[in-house]
Amino acid sequence: MNVELLLQALREVLSAPSLDAEYLPIDETCIAVPAECLRRAVDVLVGRFRVTHLSTITAEDTGLEIVLLYHFWDRRGLTLRTSLPRDGPHIASLARIIPGAIFYEQEVAEMLGVVFDGHPVAASLLLPDDWEGPPPLRRPTGDDV
Amino acid sequence: MSRITIPIGPQHPALKEPLSFLLTVEGERIVESALRIGYVHRGLERLFQDRSYVQNVHIAERVCGICSHIHTTAYCQGVEALLGLEVPRRALYVRTLLCELERIHSHLLWLGVLAEHIGFTTVFMYAWRDREIVLDIMEDLSGGRVAHAVNAIGGVRIDIENDHIPAIHARLDELERQMEMFLGVIQHERTFQARTRGVGCLTQEQVQRYCVVGPVARASGVAMDIRRDQPYAVYDELSFRVITADEGDVWARTMVRALEIVESMGMCRQLLDKLPEGPLASRAPRRVPAGLVISRCEAPRGELLYVIRSDGSDRPARVKIRTPTLPTLATLKDQLRGVHTADVPTILAGVDLCIACADR
Amino acid sequence: MKGAGTVGAIIRWARRRSPWVLHFNSGGCNGCDIEIVDTLTPRFDVERLGILKESSPRHADILLCTGPVTRQSRARLRRIYEQIPAPKWVVAVGGCSCSGGIFRGGYNVLGGIDQVLPVDIYIPGCPSRPEAIIEGILQLLETIE
Repeated sequence: MNVELLLQALREVLSAPSLDAEYLPIDETCIAVPAECLRRAVDVLVGRFRVTHLSTITAEDTGLEIVLLYHFWDRRGLTLRTSLPRDGPHIASLARIIPGAIFYEQEVAEMLGVVFDGHPVAASLLLPDDWEGPPPLRRPTGDDV
Repeated sequence: MSRITIPIGPQHPALKEPLSFLLTVEGERIVESALRIGYVHRGLERLFQDRSYVQNVHIAERVCGICSHIHTTAYCQGVEALLGLEVPRRALYVRTLLCELERIHSHLLWLGVLAEHIGFTTVFMYAWRDREIVLDIMEDLSGGRVAHAVNAIGGVRIDIENDHIPAIHARLDELERQMEMFLGVIQHERTFQARTRGVGCLTQEQVQRYCVVGPVARASGVAMDIRRDQPYAVYDELSFRVITADEGDVWARTMVRALEIVESMGMCRQLLDKLPEGPLASRAPRRVPAGLVISRCEAPRGELLYVIRSDGSDRPARVKIRTPTLPTLATLKDQLRGVHTADVPTILAGVDLCIACADR
Repeated sequence: MKGAGTVGAIIRWARRRSPWVLHFNSGGCNGCDIEIVDTLTPRFDVERLGILKESSPRHADILLCTGPVTRQSRARLRRIYEQIPAPKWVVAVGGCSCSGGIFRGGYNVLGGIDQVLPVDIYIPGCPSRPEAIIEGILQLLETIE
């Protein structure tokens, strides 16, 4: 996967001419996209560049926002980064394009309370069915980083 | 024919770890299955946030007892990258040696478990007896059979004495002779073949759809191996083959893992022969500068990720772990559909589940 | 069960000489589990002591527990214990079974086995070595009259 070609395709599809990549350790390319554009960006990755391996989705409540990192792999690491508001975070599910995303989205949903629109499964993955209390990886309100 | 639902787990002789299946069967055939995990969920990612980077090495080691060293490798590697720390080459050699020894012990453990599940108790006993050879090597080096406490942020905590190296080679020679026996069984023993060939088939397309990694993916023709694709530690200095197969069944996974043991033994020998002089660790500061790292390693079961974000303090702001078993679990629905109930233990064993890893 | 006379003596002798164990992992990392399974293998060979690993709680005398108790495991752990016919004993193998170990305080961890069941022998270790496990079981057998 050629990063320059990917950036060109994304800039065109997302109408974002200033889209750029940053480089993270260890040998990882990271591209930030707005949450409402994530699904289209993944469509480009999968449809045009044949990048289908999603390693996982990292989610973090930083206190200011919820950051989602979608880690892809195509002989090198590529991460798509997006962020959601802490109140009522929701984003389109990738389950239909990449079935492997189902478990990862399920985990993010129960650990951080993110809603993945169109996700086929409503149940918990790791937490008990009778879990009461806030999603475990949410920071308590007022605890800003 | 009416349908019956059979619950399997969380405690069951076919399961080494707690997880729960609901199998819907019609006669002897499985029509549908539902999986529930989370019995081993200890909330580790949150625990990491409440402990210092140094304390977390100890916790990372106990995400999983079988692949403990690769977890600490992925973790320490990530923190070292955030610190911009150069790890001495001798330390990387020791680290890589333990990684490969762990791969051998994990695959032998798995071979025994698979054999036990298909009723081949003799191979279970032989495999676990011969696994003791590897555990002895690891115990002589580190003091621990299962949890080795070898990795530290900045390097390793143990050394390999020069006059110990021939003894390790001798043990590897012994294991090599035993591996010839196991390969003979896998390739020629008719009952073993009858129980494993054509069972639990996954196509390359299914593997890619569920983002499966490790020997299960490689046995279906998907040649993904982080050691070759993004070499970490000193894998760029070793010569080894990435073993793949095309059949995609339990037999293919067995062949892949057995041949991986042989490759790993070769890598261990290379590491011992080329071990450079030098220090064992670089000094690591307590506080880690703010940043984000994605650290990937090839665990015995496949691609392992540690994503670590630091905020400049002595505790990580976020540690995300993706273990290789999780995507493999997603394939079980497909693998179990339409099979005989008698094949269920074989299929479960064939994917080498590590639920402790998956649940964290 | 206290039996009078010769029959009782034979039963007590048999129970001490051939305890059958059931192993249940209530949330551990697998380290102790593989060391328990190791005791069955040729180097340690607990079968020479009459110890057999059983599959059904109905056939077991001793419940070998590993791992801390997670919320999901609690009910099943209790149920299995109740299914084992008396007299029965519980062995907590490993630091996590003894006290919750390094996972103590986790949001999904209730603590060691004694939060749910009465424990007769605690075997520390992280993981416990096979020799320690065998020693622990032998010490338990000595307390069985």
